[in-house]
Amino acid sequence: MRKFFDFLQLAGRSIVHRKMRSWLTVIGVFIGITAVVALISIGLGLEKTIKEQVSGVFGVDNFIIMNENAFGPGAHGGGADQYALDLDLLKSIDGVKVAAALREHNGFVEGGLNAEGKPIQGIYPVMGLSPELMTEFESFTGELKPMPGGRLFEPGDVEVAVLDYEVSQRLGVDVGDTIFVAGDGDAELNLTIIGIMAPPEEEESDSGGGFGMQFSAGSEGDTISVPYETMELLWGLADDVLVTLVRTEPGYDVDDVADRAEDALRERGSDISAVTYTDISEAIGTMTSTISAFLAGIAGISLLVGGVGVMNTMFTSVLERTKEIGVMKAVGAKNSHVWTIFLIESGLMGLVGGIVGTLLGLGLSAVASAFIGRFFDIELIVVASPLLIVVTLLGSFALGAFAGLWPAWRASRLPVVDALRYE
Amino acid sequence: MVTLLKMQGITKEYKLGKTMVRALRGLDMEIASGETVAIMGPSGSGKSTLMHILGALDTPTSGTATIDGADLQRLKESQLVTLRGKKVGFVFQTFNLVQTLSALQNVELPMIFQGVSKSERKRRAKELLGRVGLADRIRHKPTELSGGERQRVAVARALANDPEIILADEPTGNLDTESGSAILALLKELSVNEGKTVILVTHDPEAAEIADRIVKLRDGCVSTGGGSSA
Repeated sequence: MRKFFDFLQLAGRSIVHRKMRSWLTVIGVFIGITAVVALISIGLGLEKTIKEQVSGVFGVDNFIIMNENAFGPGAHGGGADQYALDLDLLKSIDGVKVAAALREHNGFVEGGLNAEGKPIQGIYPVMGLSPELMTEFESFTGELKPMPGGRLFEPGDVEVAVLDYEVSQRLGVDVGDTIFVAGDGDAELNLTIIGIMAPPEEEESDSGGGFGMQFSAGSEGDTISVPYETMELLWGLADDVLVTLVRTEPGYDVDDVADRAEDALRERGSDISAVTYTDISEAIGTMTSTISAFLAGIAGISLLVGGVGVMNTMFTSVLERTKEIGVMKAVGAKNSHVWTIFLIESGLMGLVGGIVGTLLGLGLSAVASAFIGRFFDIELIVVASPLLIVVTLLGSFALGAFAGLWPAWRASRLPVVDALRYE
Repeated sequence: MVTLLKMQGITKEYKLGKTMVRALRGLDMEIASGETVAIMGPSGSGKSTLMHILGALDTPTSGTATIDGADLQRLKESQLVTLRGKKVGFVFQTFNLVQTLSALQNVELPMIFQGVSKSERKRRAKELLGRVGLADRIRHKPTELSGGERQRVAVARALANDPEIILADEPTGNLDTESGSAILALLKELSVNEGKTVILVTHDPEAAEIADRIVKLRDGCVSTGGGSSA
């Protein structure tokens, strides 16, 4: 160990002695390191930002039940996969505080009369909403606002409907009017319109649901919303659920409750999966780290070039110091000593490149995050991961040392007599 | 006196390009501990090759070369290194100091490889530089020193691990007369006062004058003076 520090000094002197060339070599290394560190840091920042946004919407005590094809490996991205659900069973599971579902079925609807005095008819999507969706899960649905004169559902409402503005225009109805909806078989209901949703304002159209979970009235513009129980009167037990939101009791482990709910519902024949914040954040992590790894891999090519630069410098150094190597061996340096000195020297150049590159990379990621954030109108979190820094510094030393392996080996194997004769 | 170096039937052949050079052709000689010996001979007589073997830098092709009883041919590379590190100090014609290191650090160098502690190294290097008259030049780099001063640093470096043998290859070859004489006086003093075995490989008749004995080489063999004067 004592020798190591002496060798470190010897290697350091040799680097300093060849200032110009050493710096050029170090530049070759730190360009690559800068790119890799910046890209990974931006990736980490992006991941953290998305996760925080999601957790803001999602809340750590909630989970979502979706069709098993809609999330996780093999998901084909279609959010509209419907599934059967026994909401009462779900509500009875230990640890479930609130459960609210959303189901949708196309139905035959009759509204007001047209100019010729005939009823206006059409097939429209009818959505059944648990009232808790609006009272308990506002962070998912966004704030729903009916137009003046109307209201949303209240507990106890059954034969009522809330219409999107557009569909209300098409059916020629207003608050207080009734519409006729036909369900399965003989089931049919006359529903009193209690509210009409304001038409979506263009600018705010994507700000309500946080991350695209805006399944409320108003998103498509042609939806008729009814209380969840009303759907059962029309179409029977739920086999057309789009999404279910569940809040757990305080003190319960969300993942545990979600697992139990999933098992219980699957036993009833529901092809569902329960998605918790953990699942989502894992999915986000996988996605962002795949992207980061891909980008960093590309940046890694420049690291390879830097490594070759170190190797080139070291070969030159070995050649021009042949005589010095001979002298060191003549005064008692073993092959391993010479090898170590040269290896430290190339490793040091890598390490210095790593330090400069890490600092520049972190700076670059902060600047880039600010730009990206301004461009997409989000506040990107700047991450300086200690793990990344440590790994980068060790890695850059290793890169330099690795590039120096061959030259150092050549140096150590020089026969002392030949090395001394070298001019 | 005790025989320190013993060469028996030494041959050394090496390839130079495509031709085989027979540098030493059955050389016999002995050097006793404490002797000052000058090895002389025309170019191509095998002086340098002999010096390499005497200094354990190289091993003979055949024959037996022993340094303080150790047979060079039986030693592994790492043992040869240890042997020369501890027993032999070299002084070269072209000084061969490490340019990036100061005089003090150059003298420290052989001690680094022997694992001597830093404080001990500094103390000894300063002492040695003082002894060769360079106490006020220890921070200077080789490029800031005159030829004579550089060679004195080299002598101090040769003494670093307190070796029994000082091997000097044309130590005055690159020096003016005055500096050369000073170096020779220094080497002689080491022999007389400290009992070092000093071996000079030289063309210089003046250098040979400090020797107890002159060994003359011709065509890879000893022509005169091979036996120990002991």
